Amino acid sequence: MKKTNLTVEEQASRRGRRGRPLRFIRSLGALAWVAPALVFVLVFAFYPVLYSFFISFFKYRLTDPSHQRTFVGLGNYIQAFTDPTFVVAVRNTLVFVVGAVGVETLLGLGIAVLLNRELPGMALVRTLLLAPLTLTPLVVALVWGALYNADFGPLSFYLKQIGIPIGRGPVGEPSTALASLILVDVWQWTPLIALILFTGLRSQPTELHEAAAIDGASPWQRFRFVSVPLLQPTILVALVIRTMDAFKLFDSVFAITGGGPGRATEVVNYYIFKVGLTFFDMGYGAAMSTLLFLVIVGFSAAYFRVLNRVWTNV
Amino acid sequence: MRHLRHFVPVLVLLAVLGTAAAQGQSQYAGATLNVSVESDQYSAAMQALAPDFTKETGIKLNVSILGYSEIYQRAIADFVGHTDQADLYTTDIVWSCEFAQNHYTEDLTSLIKRDAAELKTDDILPVMWTLGSCDNEQIAFPLVGYAGVLAYNKAAFDAAGLQPPTTVKQLVSDAAAFTKNGKYGIVMNGARGSPSAQDYMFYMLMTGGSLLDANGKPQLNSAANVAALKLYASLFQYAPPGAVSYSWGDRVTSFGNGNAMMMMDFSAGLDYLKPGKFPVSGKAAITTPPVTEGMKPVYPFGGWGIAINADSRQKGAAWDYIKWLSRPDIRKRFVELGGQPIRTSTLTDPAMVKAYPYFPVLLKAFQNGNGDFRPRIPEYPQIENAVGLAVNLVINNQETAQAALDAAQTSVEPLFK
Repeated sequence: MKKTNLTVEEQASRRGRRGRPLRFIRSLGALAWVAPALVFVLVFAFYPVLYSFFISFFKYRLTDPSHQRTFVGLGNYIQAFTDPTFVVAVRNTLVFVVGAVGVETLLGLGIAVLLNRELPGMALVRTLLLAPLTLTPLVVALVWGALYNADFGPLSFYLKQIGIPIGRGPVGEPSTALASLILVDVWQWTPLIALILFTGLRSQPTELHEAAAIDGASPWQRFRFVSVPLLQPTILVALVIRTMDAFKLFDSVFAITGGGPGRATEVVNYYIFKVGLTFFDMGYGAAMSTLLFLVIVGFSAAYFRVLNRVWTNV
Repeated sequence: MRHLRHFVPVLVLLAVLGTAAAQGQSQYAGATLNVSVESDQYSAAMQALAPDFTKETGIKLNVSILGYSEIYQRAIADFVGHTDQADLYTTDIVWSCEFAQNHYTEDLTSLIKRDAAELKTDDILPVMWTLGSCDNEQIAFPLVGYAGVLAYNKAAFDAAGLQPPTTVKQLVSDAAAFTKNGKYGIVMNGARGSPSAQDYMFYMLMTGGSLLDANGKPQLNSAANVAALKLYASLFQYAPPGAVSYSWGDRVTSFGNGNAMMMMDFSAGLDYLKPGKFPVSGKAAITTPPVTEGMKPVYPFGGWGIAINADSRQKGAAWDYIKWLSRPDIRKRFVELGGQPIRTSTLTDPAMVKAYPYFPVLLKAFQNGNGDFRPRIPEYPQIENAVGLAVNLVINNQETAQAALDAAQTSVEPLFK
């Protein structure tokens, strides 16, 4: 028998060459398994996004009798930046995102800390906390719309009973309308942040807390210097999820205010809906959608950058 | 002889049709029509009548009820994509020219002319034809006509020794007189968008305003329209505080609960006139809207038509359904089930008038109805949006009537170039 003197690398290389067809067949098999999902994503996610980007460069009204699609270059994007309604909608959307996500995060953190304490009945509280999350946002908006009604809403009724004048109601006053929508969002989505942060708190190693306690750290110091730093990645994940969602605010504006009073609650997603699906101005609607998409991607990228840094440090 | 076998299917078909005809069934018996209906008072009537149509003709109906935005979006997607999702659509009066110019739905003009005697077209009130007409085309058949009316709390008016207002001046003074002791003289739709835009348009028409000029160009900021908006905004001092955010349902609730004494309304539901529906039931009445002193009476008119999808492959069966639905006897049942009339014979039938004592008011309103106070043009959604914003800004004291309507005019002008 002929003896071969091959190095380890050469042997591995030969094995690799022999294994290549097999690996290729295995890859094809794997591809077959993921193909349906891949096709689904390509057809229902990628294609619409790309097509939307494409038509954003055209003057294209779906119900135009001439059925013309005229190339306008960046015309629709320029129109967006000079459209007073879009500018107001961007401002309102940013206020909403910062306000809603900020309050939800602070409240969510507080609730998560409470949930993390072993108090009687806490299991029931955790379960009840899930209730707002199970409701359809449009239903939540309709219920809050009824609550806010200045003349026959229960909220207004009880406020009047205790002598608090409510005038035109929370959503009837331009100064309080957007805050009222933030409250709706906070009611529904704070539990989500609370639950995410609660799981983050639960997964923290107890040894660090015990060591800090032995070193004489107070409960606040343990929270500030042990819990919060360890929780940072979880907080960022919650922020990413909620920020992306808050930018897409639609239901409560649609069901409660219609963008009013005046332009007080005009937000980008609702304006896109009107332009795209009421006026059928698809080109302009697509341009605004692309801008919104880019803003969300920008925010998400920034969050992930911070997240990577935090994870490295933790 | 062997060629006879080619005739066998034809003979079978003739036999089936003959049997169907013998049973009084349609030549389209066995077909299934998909009907998309907007969710409104009349939609329940259409659903309730569907089994009768099937029994009589052998044509099955799938009636889908959709919200206003949904049916519009679905119809446009269906028409543009030529997907033939529904054979028939109920169509809002303001969609008429958009659908006609795009040939989305079948032009029924020749069919109506051909079957005029069967349809008894002379019995259909002239204004009803605006529910689907554009230029010389009739792209939808009249289905439900809504008259703009003034609803008022008759008991309160009687107690105060007042007659319902016939002029705008009286309307304002009555509204002021009833605003006391936690009650309000009038209630409007103040919510931004369609509610405030359409409500304002009632008052605009009543005071001689118009959104388009004689050439069909927008004149949202005409002197008459600005004056109408000032009047409309001033009435909010006599309305419940929350009226600035009201939509149609809130307005009816406010009136129905006896909180407000008057409101302008379309005769789509008139639930507050039905016994037991609201605290004000039995105490409320309707009358034709007041107009500016000396003005020829003209009243808001709206409603829905029913149209055949131009891509439908069952146009014959669809036309049979439209004809059946417009039959005078079916129209009476349609009204009893919650629909609204289109025929003079329905509105003047003694039994119907006994059941619906307000029919003479509707007849008068229809005879003087204006179906174009909301322009039936493709640009209507943008006009309504611009007017809705302007009205809302004014009633919230954020803009003057002139400035708000100037901005609205500027925003819609490019659509007409």
